[in-house]
Amino acid sequence: MGSITGIFTRENSLHPAAREVMLEAIDRGWADPQKIHHPSRQLSQLLDSSRESLAHSLGARPESLHFLGEPHLGFFLGIAGLQLPRERSFYPSTARLEAIAVAQAMEDPRRIDVDLDGLWSIPDHSERDLLILPTANLETGNISPESTHFQGRIFVDATAGPCEKMPTSWGAALWEASSWRGPAGLGIFAVQDEVSWRNPLPHLDGRKTPASFSPSLAIAAAVALEGSMKDIERSRTETLRLNSLLRRFIDEEIGDVDIASSQSALPQMLSFSFLYVDAEQLVDRMSRSGFLIDSGSACTSANLEPSHVLAAMGRLTHGNVRVHLYPELTEDELLKMLQTLKQHVLDLRSTL
Amino acid sequence: MKDLDYRGLRCPIPIINLSREILDLPNGEVVKLVSDDPATWPDLQAWARMTKREVAKIDEITFTIKK
Repeated sequence: MGSITGIFTRENSLHPAAREVMLEAIDRGWADPQKIHHPSRQLSQLLDSSRESLAHSLGARPESLHFLGEPHLGFFLGIAGLQLPRERSFYPSTARLEAIAVAQAMEDPRRIDVDLDGLWSIPDHSERDLLILPTANLETGNISPESTHFQGRIFVDATAGPCEKMPTSWGAALWEASSWRGPAGLGIFAVQDEVSWRNPLPHLDGRKTPASFSPSLAIAAAVALEGSMKDIERSRTETLRLNSLLRRFIDEEIGDVDIASSQSALPQMLSFSFLYVDAEQLVDRMSRSGFLIDSGSACTSANLEPSHVLAAMGRLTHGNVRVHLYPELTEDELLKMLQTLKQHVLDLRSTL
Repeated sequence: MKDLDYRGLRCPIPIINLSREILDLPNGEVVKLVSDDPATWPDLQAWARMTKREVAKIDEITFTIKK
């Protein structure tokens, strides 16, 4: 196995700014922020300023934010907390499986079909119904349609990354710090609509979430988000240019490719599938060549099921590749990865 | 009609084998394909869109393809 020369996977190392503060955050994050001792009060103040910084970037009120030690618990807190008895919960067929699983455990789940670009329309509904609204798709980066016409309750799944603009009106939302190169194992849950939300978990006091999170990770998450937002802003034009270059290359230089990410998708994410290619072999060969990429093909998943996102969109599920374009990526590095990808795709096709 | 039984084969083998088999068939010929891989039906529809063929689903594991 050669050394890693390019990381294009969804997971990446901690943001450098967060890494820099991590040791100090651990040193200061050991106390119980609920207590009245000096270190506890200091930590509580530090958490408040982290919460304020996060809220400012995420588009929520600081007092509405809660940290979660188990990020995916937020799907249950948000969906079950907003769902009314005997009412419907709508979700696009490309929603995260974690969100779909909770919706399907509720009383009247309704799936919304999507088109080839992953787009969908707001269905007929009442103001008592719930909509599970992913800000963007985790696999393709395709951005969800405007939800302004939805009159019911909205749970925002922002785990694909912070969005530029939250919906005008929303009930609860979930973010995952790892989506902005913050630490893994930290979710951020917000309740905007205090009247509509009811805590679905057994609870003793007024807390909306279990307090079992690491304060150190919360501090690092805020620093990482600040750094990532600056990186994204600074590299926006360049990322769009590299995205176009990548699209052109796979279409013209490799061919027989089905691009699932629409032109208006988040520019840092791209999902595409090569006809007649085994993705498992492709991912393995790319890894041996030093390039880490993701895939949503069945042969790369533990349960041998193809990506429900690609299948729902009517996109090719085999030979799938997902790449994440990070702000520090250069054209030279991208071209090296693409030349390697081309070689492996052509080799695999020639052995058919 | 040509019959192809790809039960037990996993993606992307059914689509690869099908595309190879269909090459020698005259235009308009219909193929009946049996495959129990869950990826076959979504992939068959995408493949048909990309290669401009017609496909239909008969039941959970049986499909027809028109060249």
